[in-house]
Amino acid sequence: MGFGGTQTSDRKTEVFCAHCGLPVPPGLVTSDGSPSFCCSGCKTVYGVIRSAGFDEFYALKAIDDDRLAAPANPKLASFGEFDEPDFVRMHTREGEGARRIDLYLEGVHCAACVWLVEKLPEMVEGVISVRLDFGRSVATVLYDPQAVELSRVARALDRIGYTPHPFRSSERRALARKEERKLLIRLGVAGAAAGNVMLLAIAMYAGAGEDPAVAQLFRWISLLITVPTVLWSGRTFFSGALAGLRAKTLHMDLPVSLAILGATASSAVHTALGQGHVYFDSVAMLMFLLLAARWAQVRALRSASDASELLFSLAPSKARLLGEDETSREVPVESIVLGQRVEVRAGESIPVDGVVEQGLSRVDNALLTGESVPVEVGEGAEVHAGANNVSARLVVRVTATGEHTRVGRLLAAVEEAQRRKAPIVRLADRVASYFVLGVLLMSGVTAAVWWGEGSQIVVERVVAMLVVTCPCALGLATPLALINALGAAARNGIFVKGPDTVEALAHIRHVMLDKTGTLTQGRVALTSFDGDAGLLESVAALEAQSSHLIARAVEEATPPGAAGRHDVQDVEEVAGGGLRGAVDGTPLVLGTAAFLRASGVDVSSTWESRMAQAAERGETPVLVASDGHVAALAAFGDPLREDSQEAVGALGRLGLSLGILSGDHPRVVQHVARALSIDGAVAQGGVSPELKLATVEKMTAEGRQTAMIGDGVNDAGALAAARVGIAVRGGAEVSLATADVFLTRPGLMPAVHLIRGCRATLRVVYRNLGISLIYNAVGATLAVAGFINPLAAAVLMPLSSLTVVLSSALARPFPRPPSAAPAIRPVTRKQEVPA
Amino acid sequence: MTVVYVLLPLALLLALGFVGMFIWATRDGQFDDVRTPQLRVLFDDDPVTQTETSGEGSSGAKKERS
Repeated sequence: MGFGGTQTSDRKTEVFCAHCGLPVPPGLVTSDGSPSFCCSGCKTVYGVIRSAGFDEFYALKAIDDDRLAAPANPKLASFGEFDEPDFVRMHTREGEGARRIDLYLEGVHCAACVWLVEKLPEMVEGVISVRLDFGRSVATVLYDPQAVELSRVARALDRIGYTPHPFRSSERRALARKEERKLLIRLGVAGAAAGNVMLLAIAMYAGAGEDPAVAQLFRWISLLITVPTVLWSGRTFFSGALAGLRAKTLHMDLPVSLAILGATASSAVHTALGQGHVYFDSVAMLMFLLLAARWAQVRALRSASDASELLFSLAPSKARLLGEDETSREVPVESIVLGQRVEVRAGESIPVDGVVEQGLSRVDNALLTGESVPVEVGEGAEVHAGANNVSARLVVRVTATGEHTRVGRLLAAVEEAQRRKAPIVRLADRVASYFVLGVLLMSGVTAAVWWGEGSQIVVERVVAMLVVTCPCALGLATPLALINALGAAARNGIFVKGPDTVEALAHIRHVMLDKTGTLTQGRVALTSFDGDAGLLESVAALEAQSSHLIARAVEEATPPGAAGRHDVQDVEEVAGGGLRGAVDGTPLVLGTAAFLRASGVDVSSTWESRMAQAAERGETPVLVASDGHVAALAAFGDPLREDSQEAVGALGRLGLSLGILSGDHPRVVQHVARALSIDGAVAQGGVSPELKLATVEKMTAEGRQTAMIGDGVNDAGALAAARVGIAVRGGAEVSLATADVFLTRPGLMPAVHLIRGCRATLRVVYRNLGISLIYNAVGATLAVAGFINPLAAAVLMPLSSLTVVLSSALARPFPRPPSAAPAIRPVTRKQEVPA
Repeated sequence: MTVVYVLLPLALLLALGFVGMFIWATRDGQFDDVRTPQLRVLFDDDPVTQTETSGEGSSGAKKERS
């Protein structure tokens, strides 16, 4: 088949996964010529696809898109909650004698994915049809509830590598979609009118107008086309202008409406009188161009908000409800009531607020509070929705669900903060207000100049002035530059949700950063291993017997399969102390100094002071004793993200002042600040979510243009209150919902590119505004001098718009998206498309 | 030039018809997703890859029951 097994690139022999095409780690390469896989997920999926006879998938894969491939990661879960009556009621709807459900699929990235997913009816009986919207990764599944359970459909999708999530479509979304369709129809109608009126106008200018009867016919027909279009398609502008006037601001729509209405009215009068200029072609063209720009802007923004809403679908929607007989079943979170008990297994996130009834585990609150180290919880401890259960099974009695949870209450505070936020006056609207004054002034001048020539000439000249200064290019100046920037940003994995955000970001002077999960990776990892490096493998072998968080960090630090090569015996784990056992016959003790002493190991003061140093850095030190002697010190902490250093430096060079607001311990925060050369005075630790919000609000109130970059639930308030909130990849959905921007590529560098790109975009906007104002000044001068007739207007106006379009299209506000490594696309398009 | 009295209304009717079709298509949601159809066109109706794994493919879990 297309590609799979061993393929060699030009540079070195590298093996690519037979399923996803990513490089295979050396330890997993097979030697007998059978296909190699990068992970067990890909292997499972490959097996399912092959045995179902869908090998063509791998041939189609090379017809790729600009999305990066990702290893398949099937959950192999039972998806039992999909069969609950509550779930069916909430997420499916009746349609065509069957039921219909929208599922958001993880891992959709190429044309082959569309093909494979739409082959589902051949794999599962009872599925009638599947349509996949590739852009949004949402599949609409039509199935017969009598013939198949929904959970089986979900399992089948999961097994072929696309983990399904119920897509929570809201009323608001349906409404937005309707609005967008309406705008598209308005645009289409305006376009058809513009085209037809233009044909008539060209015929007139070319000489058809010399016969008075034909000229009059053409005028009437143009009127017939234009007037209904103005009244219907142009409503967008009129309502915008009126809304602006009611709010006592001069909106960009006002000069546009004035020009459209003035030109249409005078042209209609001239048509009725059978003499004078008509501007129907210019009016229709103007509306079409402006609506096109507006529609493109709406669409660009929608794709960003779509992407953020899709992420909500990934949030856990199920809980394991424990019955009286201690058996658990998966139910939708929404159907849980207070007092019930839920089971939370290790590695799952906690779905509700509650009190632990059974079990002893660690809970990772990184997203909730910013603490980088998981806390221990036992019976009677309070746990909160959104936290992650790290090490062992817990039984939790529910005390609050949904909006009454701690996260839910925080969300209410966030909405409050968003409501308080003052809207910004857009540059284009500021220009528009001067523009309206300018046009009125120039009209006055024109009227004064031609006053002696009689009222008919005066009206004609003033209308010509209105038409020629019609702010078409001005209206296009901002949307076009924005669309270009938003598109380029999206290709870089940056999604901008608000239309004002680009402009606001260009003016940002202060950046507040969250620590856990933003500057750091938000997980425990081995940060240093001080001592005999050869011991690390033995440590890993011993830790493999433990479910402790640190065990996982050690496992990550060693090559896969290394731990399995050692013989481990007599393992004993002491909670809060450490771990001891024999690896390959050598006794090994891991843990705190006290635990080592209790195990009969002498800990010298040198090691003690090294431990103190690690603790000072905010890390967790673990001593390693081999054969009765201390041999090494392993330190565990939350490592910095790879690009944090570079990003912080780049932000500084952009002239931004930085600060850290973290919920973690101040000592840890100070250490991170020092590592990134951020002034310790502006690095605050132990900050509560409320204080974060208050700090950012205070900065904004003082007129300091502040951006907040964060990931957690605890940052959500600050993200909402900041002029611009930027949520980083891997954040909580609450923060994604409130942020104006969210990054889908790991790291902070995208934020740097974003700020740079926004500044570049604002420069393009200025340039566009300048160009259109120059055209208007020239046009106005000609109009005052009486040189403007419908033909001159019809030439000048599209010319100015075209210049602005070119000026926007040529701008490159963002660096090109990182091109995929050859490993990801081993076969070129040309070779692969089946003939 | 009298022919324009016939041709113009005819052309306008035609244009109106197309506008009507556009409105219908938009209301029908045909412009909601403009990315998938361009990919769908590339798929063969009849898979051609059955030769290599035909035995395994047809006797295997064609209708998977998990």
